[in-house]
Amino acid sequence: MVDQIPNLGRESEMLAEIGLSSISDLFSNIPEGVRRDDPLPLPPPQSEEQILEDARRLLGANVDLDSRPSFLSAGLARNFVPSMVPMLATRGEFLTSYTPYQPEVSQGMLQAMWEFQTMVSELVGLPISNVSMYDASTAAAEAITCAVRVKSKKATDPNSVFVSELVPPHRLSVIRNYTQGVGIELRILPHNDDGSLDMELASSAAGSSAVYVEQPNALGILDEGLMGLKEVIGDSTALIVGVDAVSLGLVEPPGHWGADIVVGEGQPFGIGPTGGGPIYGIFACTKEFLRLMPGRIVGQSIDTEGKTAYTLTLSTREQHIRRHRATSNICSNETLIALMGAMHMSLLGPEGLEKLATRISSSTYAVMEAVTKIPGVELVNPGGAFFREFAIRLPGPAKDALSSMDASGVLGGFDLGNWWEEMSDCLLIGCDEGITESDISSLVDALGAWSGGVE
Amino acid sequence: MSTVFDFNGASGSGWSQPDSNFQNPDAVPESLRRKRLPGWPRASEPELVRHYTLLSQKTFGIDTGFYPLGSCTMKHNPRVNERIVQLPGIDRIHPLQDSSQVQGLLAIYYEMQEMLAICSGMDAVTLQPVAGAQGEFTAIRCIQEYHRSRGDDRRDKVIVPDSAHGTNPASASMCGYQIIEIPSASDGRLDIDALRAAVGDDTAAMMITNPSTMGLFETNIAEASKIVHEAGGQMYYDGANFNAIIGKTDPGRMGFDAVHYNLHKTFSQPHGGGGPGSGPIGVKDHLSEFLPTPIASRRESQEGEPNGVGDGFYYFWQDVGDNSIGKVQQWNGNAGAVVRAWAFYRRYGRDLERMSEHAVLSSNYLRHKIMNPEPDVAAKINCMPSEGSEASLVMHEFTLSMSPVKEVNGVTGKDVAKRLLDYGYMSPTLYFPQIVPECLMIEPTETESKEVLDKFAADFHAVLSEDPEILTTAPHTTPVKRVDEVWAARNLILRHPGNEED
Repeated sequence: MVDQIPNLGRESEMLAEIGLSSISDLFSNIPEGVRRDDPLPLPPPQSEEQILEDARRLLGANVDLDSRPSFLSAGLARNFVPSMVPMLATRGEFLTSYTPYQPEVSQGMLQAMWEFQTMVSELVGLPISNVSMYDASTAAAEAITCAVRVKSKKATDPNSVFVSELVPPHRLSVIRNYTQGVGIELRILPHNDDGSLDMELASSAAGSSAVYVEQPNALGILDEGLMGLKEVIGDSTALIVGVDAVSLGLVEPPGHWGADIVVGEGQPFGIGPTGGGPIYGIFACTKEFLRLMPGRIVGQSIDTEGKTAYTLTLSTREQHIRRHRATSNICSNETLIALMGAMHMSLLGPEGLEKLATRISSSTYAVMEAVTKIPGVELVNPGGAFFREFAIRLPGPAKDALSSMDASGVLGGFDLGNWWEEMSDCLLIGCDEGITESDISSLVDALGAWSGGVE
Repeated sequence: MSTVFDFNGASGSGWSQPDSNFQNPDAVPESLRRKRLPGWPRASEPELVRHYTLLSQKTFGIDTGFYPLGSCTMKHNPRVNERIVQLPGIDRIHPLQDSSQVQGLLAIYYEMQEMLAICSGMDAVTLQPVAGAQGEFTAIRCIQEYHRSRGDDRRDKVIVPDSAHGTNPASASMCGYQIIEIPSASDGRLDIDALRAAVGDDTAAMMITNPSTMGLFETNIAEASKIVHEAGGQMYYDGANFNAIIGKTDPGRMGFDAVHYNLHKTFSQPHGGGGPGSGPIGVKDHLSEFLPTPIASRRESQEGEPNGVGDGFYYFWQDVGDNSIGKVQQWNGNAGAVVRAWAFYRRYGRDLERMSEHAVLSSNYLRHKIMNPEPDVAAKINCMPSEGSEASLVMHEFTLSMSPVKEVNGVTGKDVAKRLLDYGYMSPTLYFPQIVPECLMIEPTETESKEVLDKFAADFHAVLSEDPEILTTAPHTTPVKRVDEVWAARNLILRHPGNEED
């Protein structure tokens, strides 16, 4: 018996008032040819108790990242989320509100999003932020289409966009889907053996509409050379930089070295990896892109009595008004998760952010030092600076190493062969603030045992 | 007004973290180092808990009151769903874990794919798109690749009715299509002659929602599908209004080739101030090879294999193959939203049909109540709105036009909407669909009681009986008075200016 419908059992009373006699009268507009007459072949309804029991059984069959030493990151963080965040964000008023189209009764969420915009803006060093994209990949993809809209008039090679080859292929796939229909030609920028961007070749991107690079890149490398990239490509080409948001507690934000648009995964602030979603993408830019950027923006305003108020603004960019000429099709976004992000960021504060980034950076180097001592294991990009992730080359297939470590209860990283075939003997090791000495010992023991047995 | 940036305690104060487990002070070279930390607040947990609690109290949700926002399906969000997504088996799961480590999540994905296929009459489903608009985009991409795979590259137009959601033309446009907008017939339904005139050998697809945004079932939908198919185009079903039809009909029967579902509408994933959503798509067999990759699949467990969830199957991520469009979101969609929707679906099972029945019952009941006030009430009303459509029956939502009211005393749809806020309601959807002048679009959903609907109708009548001046200056009892949207767009104050010492 369904327990979510207050009017069950009162159908005839309500129907009578309308002048109908049966529920099927309500559906008489559905022509016979398309009507469904048989019941849905689905199981009967369950009670809350039964659902919770099934959920615990099913989800309990998953291996959660905290249940064992885990070194899997590849763009998402096994983070610690303060207890306040889910408890406050799921207050019913926030949880069950819709897009704040009526600002007078949505001041709380609007102000929280305006504060979110401010914190993102401060984090990345650019003046403007929207209230979220779906994830880092769609943020990057829509940054590119936005940049082309803005820059193509002045660019000498307007339809070209250059993308670093060290962008995760899944993200590149999203970018391809978003750019293929609007005449954008993606060209790949190669990297040097040490993982840094080839700046000689990067100069060929001057005159194109945009360049997209990541700091750190897909192999965790922080590339100092990128800080000179804007000078190389010039003002007529947009520089878009994808970031690890937490790294900006230690690393100079791209907004301070010439980036026009900064995007990234907001997830480390606010929510666990959650099977890949819901998470949220960060999107921030300079004033030049404001009127052609995607997504919702909150602005400060006044009410009829001159009192400070907040409201959605510049909506004429959006699909519900501009329809096929909109700057994006985005409607539902990730506001609630961005709210969680705002809460987490305000709990951390500036020094807390720096500390969190330092903890991750320190554990990255501690893990690196330990695993590269294993005979037969070497760093793929020696000499570089890293944040959160680094790649190692193994004496055999990464796939085998992972299943061997799995058998010892260690989640040993990500098989880079899934992204690049030629790296099937490479493992991407992800490190977070929660890594302990004991986690590292487990990893070294498990990986050492496997590599010792490889001949 | 105070903001979170007013909290500016001592450096390093606030929420504590353990010290670093390792010491590598020079890990990030000086040349790469950040010179000045971001100007974030310095606040303690007690201060922030109060800050966000106060903000929540200035936010209207379904939990606060009736939320008749048409086209958005603002139904109750069962709380067990929120409890479930806090379990470590979803909150602490990584999308790149091996299938063997996420058997439970895969089983839920598989069950949801099957259920959505059954309810929609489609053959294959992906849960990867994370919003309705992304579902539209994904399906149009699949259709685009389908045409290309047949060497049919000249189809560069997508047809949408003028009552369509703005996302439809925006999504098709992002795929590179030109949009052909066709006008609605005088009864608000699809104009079949206009469609016939619009199709041709350049038609890639038609995008349409049924019931329409007018709340009307498109009675000639099968004919429309036939016309588009005969021209070589594909039929795309916008599932925004799926709540109206489950168990009564389905897009497959209507002749559609692809459909998106809004798990945040029909299946109660909370809207959370604008998102997250989840916009899976379903397709017929001929489009399935183009779906984004991967999708959840299963096979019978082999001997000696770990037992997964104990149902005799081994679940795994199935690569869709070489013709797949690839990825539209980097991971496997909004898994947390899928799990919430799964819990919601389990609450109903085969009785999802009751859900649709009551959504349509509530809508027709409320429409009747609003349009037929008792004589003593009617005597006090300054002027009644007109029906957006004269159809005798509507589906899960309906439209009203405030034009007659505006003509009589200058009160606009917006004024009525703002005054309803004073009565403790969220406003209906305003000025959409655009084909209804001074439109209010009302969708009560199945989770509102008869008493709430009666009270809303009575309050709506009370609003229409008030001095017009009270309406044109409304709202009066909200945390702020009517907000000046033009001021916001003119001044563009899009962030806090920052504290002096930063």
